[in-house]
Amino acid sequence: MQPNDEMSRSESEARRGGDAPPFLWAGWRRLPPVVYLALGLLLILLLLFAVAGPVEAGQSTLNGLVGAGYFALGAVGLTLVYGVLRLVNFAHGDMLTFGTYVTLAITSLGVPFWPAAVLAMIVTALLAVLIDRVMWEPMRRARTSTLQFFLAAIGLAMVLRYSVQFFAGSQVRAVGLDTTSSVDIGPWHLGSLQFVVMLVGLATILLTGAGLRYTRLGKEMRAVADNIALAEVAGIDTRRTIRITWIVAGGLAALAGILYATAIGSINPNFGFTILLSLFAAAVLGGIGNAYGALAGGIVIGLAQEWSTLFFNPRWKPAIGFAILILTLILMPRGIFGRRKARI
Amino acid sequence: MRKTLAGAAFAAGLAMALAPMAAKADPINLTIGKLLEVTGPLSETGPSQDKAIKLAVAYANEQAAKAGVPIVAKDIGADVQGDPQAALSAARSLVDQGASCLIGPSITPESIAIANGLTIRKRVTIWPTGTSMRLRTIKDEGTIFRTVPPDSLQAYALVAAVIDKLGSADGKLVSVIYRNEPYGEGLAKGFSKAWEAKGGKIQGPVVFDPAQATFDSEAGQVVANNPDAYVIIDYPDTYAKLGAALVRTGKFDASKAFVADALAFSTVPSNIPPQATEGMRGTRGGTPMGTDAYKIFDDLWRKAGGVEHFSLDANSFDSTTLCFLAAAMAKSSDPAAITSHIRDVTSPGAPKFYLTNLADAIKAVYGGQKIDYIGVAGTFEFAENGDPTVSLFDIFEYQKGKLVVLKQIDATK
Repeated sequence: MQPNDEMSRSESEARRGGDAPPFLWAGWRRLPPVVYLALGLLLILLLLFAVAGPVEAGQSTLNGLVGAGYFALGAVGLTLVYGVLRLVNFAHGDMLTFGTYVTLAITSLGVPFWPAAVLAMIVTALLAVLIDRVMWEPMRRARTSTLQFFLAAIGLAMVLRYSVQFFAGSQVRAVGLDTTSSVDIGPWHLGSLQFVVMLVGLATILLTGAGLRYTRLGKEMRAVADNIALAEVAGIDTRRTIRITWIVAGGLAALAGILYATAIGSINPNFGFTILLSLFAAAVLGGIGNAYGALAGGIVIGLAQEWSTLFFNPRWKPAIGFAILILTLILMPRGIFGRRKARI
Repeated sequence: MRKTLAGAAFAAGLAMALAPMAAKADPINLTIGKLLEVTGPLSETGPSQDKAIKLAVAYANEQAAKAGVPIVAKDIGADVQGDPQAALSAARSLVDQGASCLIGPSITPESIAIANGLTIRKRVTIWPTGTSMRLRTIKDEGTIFRTVPPDSLQAYALVAAVIDKLGSADGKLVSVIYRNEPYGEGLAKGFSKAWEAKGGKIQGPVVFDPAQATFDSEAGQVVANNPDAYVIIDYPDTYAKLGAALVRTGKFDASKAFVADALAFSTVPSNIPPQATEGMRGTRGGTPMGTDAYKIFDDLWRKAGGVEHFSLDANSFDSTTLCFLAAAMAKSSDPAAITSHIRDVTSPGAPKFYLTNLADAIKAVYGGQKIDYIGVAGTFEFAENGDPTVSLFDIFEYQKGKLVVLKQIDATK
């Protein structure tokens, strides 16, 4: 996302007069939406502290941020692929699964967990590139329609899931790390691994966002996302850019899967698909195609779900999370960081 | 003329070919369908259910041969995946392959989907190990039999288990949490009602959606106000996460926790943290272990190798045997004929037969005699709705990761 672009666009619109909004409206538009989001969330948090008490409200906030970490990290790769390729990658959840199972397979050979995780990220990135070569590239060349891409992605999701199941079996597998240890922060507590996931998730998203904004590669990706034909004319090797997009998306998917699995402790071949809907929700809510949007979307959904448990039975958690999604999309049809055109 | 000759020759040949078969009764080829939880939330149960049914088929075949009764069974299986739609497809494929009875599945919504979508119409009996009372809200027209006691009874057993530990229910606060499914809902409601009737208090219930990424808020609500006990109705896959979340609260004491049959493992799986189960107690449908029938069953189980005993394995063994007996009595593998003879082989007041004299039982029913077959799990004598009269429950405790049965109780008392 480019808050400066957003500002300059509103300013220039205001200056041009034509369809310029009234003065106050223009002033309102001048602040980036993330400020409103942060202010809004802070206000709700203060209210919750007053109504539900600081211990409960603080604890549910921490729990919400843990969920936000899971959702945001998983959603970054999803949103990146959509941004560059306009592909609603239904197979993304199963890439999470694939990466995690590869990690477990490598650890079973005696390799320690974290080096195995790095290897698994590389393997998953390579798989993503291979799938692009075999499947997506020919489809792009044939100018396949969006719906067909979407259905092919669902098919690919099935193939991946059942392949994992074929080789690894369907039983629940323990990751083998201690999920019960926790750190105390004042009156609140947080699982140690959950804390690690949150930090790594945040760092990864910020790095991805910064990479897209400041590196040459990131600029090329954004150029391809904006207009692939124009990018090609401008001398960008679009095939290479797409390949790198898949490498990043595949690696991030594996990382998200591995971190999620370590924090929850056990997995089965369906786990990636189970959280896919939440990942989509985070991506769409943040403004699909935007790396920071995934973070913002993840935070909103994570917090909304956990905060809701202060007042409602937790059985309504998913319903409330998705009701917030619908509400936000009514108010901000393109998501929190949404643009007229999806950008990364 | 040539055609007539050829026709006559063909008819003569056919008559000759059929003659020996007509002299000897056609053997009954029975196919038992196994609806197994191979994948999905109860995948822990799949292997033991599979083994139990296979053992029952092999043993019944052996005993029928001994009795000289021409009936041979085989088993075919399909994965119900913990999903009602998948369960219905699995059941369809088994019935298409000629299954006369369907043993399983373990999750009640699956049974309901199968009954409504297929088996009521085709008059095929299903024998679920799911214990929810929701099953009895559908009009199954006498096609669903359970050899496991329903949750209306397990709720009483659970109350007895908690009282056994706390001394009495009077004024004691129990925090209840359940997985949002008919099994959890029925059992938790039944427990809460019975507990309050005994003078106890209930906190919650906290209801959770199994697909959630985190269970920390739920766990926090369970341990709030330091209750005297927790009742947790869950499945293994989610308890791996919920259990860890409970431990992370820092306030959870597993020795105050009580669970039901879906969390009864002979050995606690490695993905469930030991701190979430050590000292925890629970209830499950009990199998009387001192009987000769149990000895035979246990011997078969050990000799076959493979998976250890798991909850309700004896019940599915019995279900298979009952289907076999009903087919022998009906002298047919026709599902509808079998359905109409189930009650004749578990008939109250008729001569009692056991696994120890199964060959005699097969001979008796083949001769048209009504019997009262007593299974490994106990007496069935099905009630009007198809649920059994057995009401024996184990109260167990996890000690060093192993299930230890503390006592057996009769939930109706």
